[in-house]
Amino acid sequence: MPPRTNEDMIREEYFDLLPDVRRVVWYLEAEIRYHTRQILQRLKPYEQLIIKSRVKDCESAVRSLRRRQEGGTFDPEKLGGYSLLRLPDLAGVRVLVFPRGRVNEVNSELSAQFVHWSSDPVLDGRGAVLANKYIGKCLQVSTKIQAEYQVLPMLIGLYWEVEHPAIYKPVPAAKAPKDKASSGPMEKLDASVVEALLNFEAEFECLKLDELEVP
Amino acid sequence: MKKDVLLKADYRYNFDRDIYFNRKVKKAFSLEFVDDKPEEEILRRIGENTNGGGWTFYFNSPPSEGVKRELERVLG
Repeated sequence: MPPRTNEDMIREEYFDLLPDVRRVVWYLEAEIRYHTRQILQRLKPYEQLIIKSRVKDCESAVRSLRRRQEGGTFDPEKLGGYSLLRLPDLAGVRVLVFPRGRVNEVNSELSAQFVHWSSDPVLDGRGAVLANKYIGKCLQVSTKIQAEYQVLPMLIGLYWEVEHPAIYKPVPAAKAPKDKASSGPMEKLDASVVEALLNFEAEFECLKLDELEVP
Repeated sequence: MKKDVLLKADYRYNFDRDIYFNRKVKKAFSLEFVDDKPEEEILRRIGENTNGGGWTFYFNSPPSEGVKRELERVLG
């Protein structure tokens, strides 16, 4: 039998932790739904608030932990020296909101509820906040698992759902460019898409839809 | 920019391992090393004579023999 590797041991840890991770994601999603219910009821017909949750899958968790090591490699001489508990996003909830004016409202409401969570916003190349991100623990259901929730403009979030698996975190089987240095044009396009989506939201707000009769 | 210095010297970026590498001269820079060191040092390391035998890794924390073996396998 081949000797066990760090990856084997981390996979084993993953399945030991999985029941806890599931409890955390269910709890976090329920809390977020509860605390945003009043905003949801106030939404105008064209406004949207969608809550999505996910448990990080096993291979994604192993890869994510590996890439946190310098050189993206587990040290075989430190067998068993790695733990998935270092990952901040085994359990994750994403709150997609449109238009962006509502993003701030949802963000304020939730940050008032999750006061002990650390803010770790996703920034664009110029330092502007693209997504509000928070990391913390749901101590009511697990003292070990770190979770993450994000509140972000829906257009950016939906774009990332396509872009992230293809470009941002390519999987070995994907045909996406793995060499970021050679994907310069892709990076520029990505920035252009994000800018276009943000401009769309800004222009939309300028229309002052409140004054229009939207069915 | 430090990234441009590396690209100009024919280094490519391995997105999975977060390293810049050049197979011809068998050198690899970790992203952490590139982030933390000044451009002058990167330039100096690029020009450093390593006799071209095995791979040379420029890391903040020197990689173990096991990590070197794994990266050499990946980099080919």
